[in-house]
Amino acid sequence: MVLLAFVSNGNERMRARLVGPVRMACLIFSLVMLTITTGMFFQYFGDVTWMNIAFNDYEFQFTYVWIESLGIHWAVGLDALSFPMIWLTTFLLPVTIIATWNEKQGATYFPLLLMMGGALIGVFVSLDLFMFYVFWELTLIPMFFLILKWGGKDRRYAAQKFFIYTFTASVIMLLGLITLYFLQDPYSLNYSGTMTGRSFSIPELIDNAKASNLGDNWYLGAQMQKILFVMLMIGFLVKLPAVPFHTWLPDAHVQAPTGGSMLLAGVMLKMGAYGMFRLPISLFPHALYHFQLALMIIGMVSLVWGAIVCLGQTNLKKMVAYSSVSHMGVILIGIATMQPMGWAAALFMMFAHGIISPMLFAVCGAFKHHYHSMEIGAMRGMARHSPWLATSMMFAWMASLGLPLLAGFVAEIMMLIALWHMISLDGWSIWWMVGPALVLALTAAYYLWSMQRTIFEGGDAGQPPENMIGKPIPDIANSEKFAMLIMALFTILFGIMPWIGLDMMDDWTKQAFEGLIVFVGKGGA
Amino acid sequence: MSGVKNVEPFAEGFVAALCPELIIFAGLILLIIVPNLGKGTFRIPGTQTRLMWFLGGDRFRVTSNPKLPAWIATITLGAAFVQTILSFQDGVERTAIVTESGTQLMLVNGFSRVFELIFFGALTLAAFASMNRLEVRGVGPRLSTDDLYNNRRQADFYILMLTCGLGMSVVALAQDLFVLFIGLELASFSTYVLVAFYKESKAGTEAGMKYFIVGSVASGVGLYGLSMLYLWAGSLQFDALASQFMIDGTDPLPLIAMGFVLVGFGFKVSAAPFHFAAPDAYAGASSPVAGILATASKAMGIIGLLRMLLIVASPEASEDGTVWLTLLGVLSLVTMTWGNIAALGSTNPKRMLAYSSVAHAGYMLAAITAIGAWNWDDSLAGDGGESAVAVLTALIFHLVVLVAFKLGAFLVLSILESDGDASRLSSLGGLAKREPFLAVAMFIFMISLAGVPPLAGFVSKLLVIMGIVKVAVGQIGAEIIAGGDLGLSDVHWVWWLAFAMVINSAISMYYYLRIGVVMFFDEAEEGRRGPLPAGWQVRFAILACLMATLFMGVASDKLLEICEVAAQSLNYDWN
Repeated sequence: MVLLAFVSNGNERMRARLVGPVRMACLIFSLVMLTITTGMFFQYFGDVTWMNIAFNDYEFQFTYVWIESLGIHWAVGLDALSFPMIWLTTFLLPVTIIATWNEKQGATYFPLLLMMGGALIGVFVSLDLFMFYVFWELTLIPMFFLILKWGGKDRRYAAQKFFIYTFTASVIMLLGLITLYFLQDPYSLNYSGTMTGRSFSIPELIDNAKASNLGDNWYLGAQMQKILFVMLMIGFLVKLPAVPFHTWLPDAHVQAPTGGSMLLAGVMLKMGAYGMFRLPISLFPHALYHFQLALMIIGMVSLVWGAIVCLGQTNLKKMVAYSSVSHMGVILIGIATMQPMGWAAALFMMFAHGIISPMLFAVCGAFKHHYHSMEIGAMRGMARHSPWLATSMMFAWMASLGLPLLAGFVAEIMMLIALWHMISLDGWSIWWMVGPALVLALTAAYYLWSMQRTIFEGGDAGQPPENMIGKPIPDIANSEKFAMLIMALFTILFGIMPWIGLDMMDDWTKQAFEGLIVFVGKGGA
Repeated sequence: MSGVKNVEPFAEGFVAALCPELIIFAGLILLIIVPNLGKGTFRIPGTQTRLMWFLGGDRFRVTSNPKLPAWIATITLGAAFVQTILSFQDGVERTAIVTESGTQLMLVNGFSRVFELIFFGALTLAAFASMNRLEVRGVGPRLSTDDLYNNRRQADFYILMLTCGLGMSVVALAQDLFVLFIGLELASFSTYVLVAFYKESKAGTEAGMKYFIVGSVASGVGLYGLSMLYLWAGSLQFDALASQFMIDGTDPLPLIAMGFVLVGFGFKVSAAPFHFAAPDAYAGASSPVAGILATASKAMGIIGLLRMLLIVASPEASEDGTVWLTLLGVLSLVTMTWGNIAALGSTNPKRMLAYSSVAHAGYMLAAITAIGAWNWDDSLAGDGGESAVAVLTALIFHLVVLVAFKLGAFLVLSILESDGDASRLSSLGGLAKREPFLAVAMFIFMISLAGVPPLAGFVSKLLVIMGIVKVAVGQIGAEIIAGGDLGLSDVHWVWWLAFAMVINSAISMYYYLRIGVVMFFDEAEEGRRGPLPAGWQVRFAILACLMATLFMGVASDKLLEICEVAAQSLNYDWN
């Protein structure tokens, strides 16, 4: 991959000639990765069913000493939490490549997408805090360039804002990680560094934390646990992003090229939620209880605020971006319910949103590409001019607003049930249901309203955008059709048969609850 | 101090111990003589006989080549560098250079060797890259006076580089404050002239003047402090000063004297509030020289600080933290914040790098503060200095890798400077189109300075933060595991310095990224669209920096070991 990026730095003519082969190579490479992960699911590679993996146990483990004196290892492994995310990444890579087949300057664009995918997979597989952080930051660089080079008008501002927001959050997280590192007993872990006597190994940390969280002992003490929890959560909440840290997202999305947006919304946002499950939640369940209300409020505000802002948007892509904020609120609420169902809902939301939102952005990208505008009112009667685009748009919009039998619905209904559970079992106020109920209506409103204004209306002849009056209006290209079709198929697949992915997520949740929460009494806070 | 081999000057073992310095010295003499070799003759007085004595007269074709001094300097410095690396292979033997009466003048150990590595590495790269910088107007024996004069400057430039290297390594070796000051002044005077050497631009002359005046005031203050220290202790030996400090270190006289000495070193590391000359000097000097100021010269200042603060006024000398702890903590906070804020607003890439260098000085001061605090926790009794060594290792590692990406960034600017000018942000515009290699290299240097993994800058910053946190947390972890409920208020306040570093890194991200954005996004300035000036030497140096930046990021284990040895050998009471 890196080699390809270097090769592509030839002169312009060379570059033009390279696009074809490089694109093909990237596609083949990503398809091979997809084959491998799919093979893993069907047990062609490695006999792992992804079920009944005990909490904090990992398959396909591999450990290699990296920096011995600090206790840093190249440690990778998979469990039912990370595997769906990895499959999602490998699934989205070829789809993204196909959907943006005709992107300009492809010889650097496609390798950047691959680098991005590689870094994302790195985040999900790493079992070492140092490695996790390295990959976490590494995802920023290709994304920065994707926005900077292929972005819209204000890409400069958006790229810098994106980088600085997430970087700030993650250095605070880094300080939290280092403090955590030094709070351990020296030489108590297997992979301790020769100089510092501590280890970065995630499984060992979690083991220690679990052992000490047993009963009602707070791992590292109540004060410290709360402080570290907050420091780590800042990193993940900004990435997610949750209100009030979300402002980078609409800018980044609107300016990013389609491929960048697809990966950003599809996988990169999920890094935040993944990180929450992997670190703060697994390490500090007590603090999670303590901050349950705060998380719930942040989640609710994200959910409602995102939806309200969507209503006011005239820019198609910005609307979709804010709908992502709203959906990330669902994940946060799912976590905050502290019900197994809620966590499973959050996990499945990560997955479902990971398939649906790239489709939303692919639609936006195609819209922009063919009509040279993102404004919702720019054209009417699209159904007449571009039936394919109109159909995919309708499908994606419906999937995102949670139409039954599509993947998004499953996650949302699970979240609602979990919320009911929480209200009835833990005695929360019924008013907590108002937010989601309101949002259901709002979501339907903004999606249907925008569809009405773009796809329908405009009379029989439709109303093409002003700059295209008199010209033939094209429909989307074949490659785009193909990509949309695949995403739509999988949305339906996971809507009708959610158990394909849900089973392992549910299993992980169950194991995690047994490992963590059951021991933490309700009076933990 | 056991296990030290005492060697008198020119006795057996002297050459082996001071090999790198002697190489430089030999190179220096060569550099003075060789360009003067010619068909000069000498008339024996009272006769008509003329003897050839090869000095002066029409120069030979080889010796008149203006590139020759550069090659001599590069090869000399490179040889010294290689010699230093080789000396690591089978452990550094501790050798002290003593006078007849047994006073230690210099000490060769892991610490001094690592710093020699920094100095010679930076100077080699800078000398090599400067080959493309100084304009060569003609080659051959028959040139106009102006051209001859210009060629003569080439030799001067590299002679100054070598004296600079010699002075710096003396600083690293010195065991006596006076010897240290001689080395410091030798290096300082060389850098004053080097800064003013870029006389083609007005800024160069101004920078030289400013740097010289402020620098000599700082040295004067330092020297005054030195005399007060001598008055107080009757010796300038570090050992003697340290033992005297144990007795009456909190008297006003030594404290005032130390303060004065620290002003001298503070100027060298460009710590606030002594940093005002730095941006002007960096902006006015030619870029390779500015690179030396930001790396080697800064490392030299750090040596001074370490010796004064950690050996003389050592943390063990006083209970619960040293006397300078709060002062240095505040200085470090001010330095890093000031540097970063000022860098945000500067539109001249060289000034920006200068301010970023101020910010880095702040990070280093934070590390030294943490070392000063390492025995704050009573329960750390079992810690015989491991924490101090950890921080020091990080600090030294930071100085070593800084050479790679800081100097590399200045070298990229150097190419732009020979293209016309590099004093505006827009002069970097379109670099990605003009020469992608340079743009990519510059971007990597920038994000390495900002501390983005997996580059060397990240590892060094991470190590410094880790060291500070380690000291600050102390044995609290053990107490917590024993069931204590402790929060941030129980952690030593140096933890907040780590926090400040983290926030400052985030601030600095903006101006580092801006460079990248300009290179990849903006069009080139009018009339600067063509290819950049050729010169493989400087590009080779940049490539070397780039490789080091990448390599030290992912495979830092070996260098870390060396730095740890160096850190342990600063003070053998810690291990």
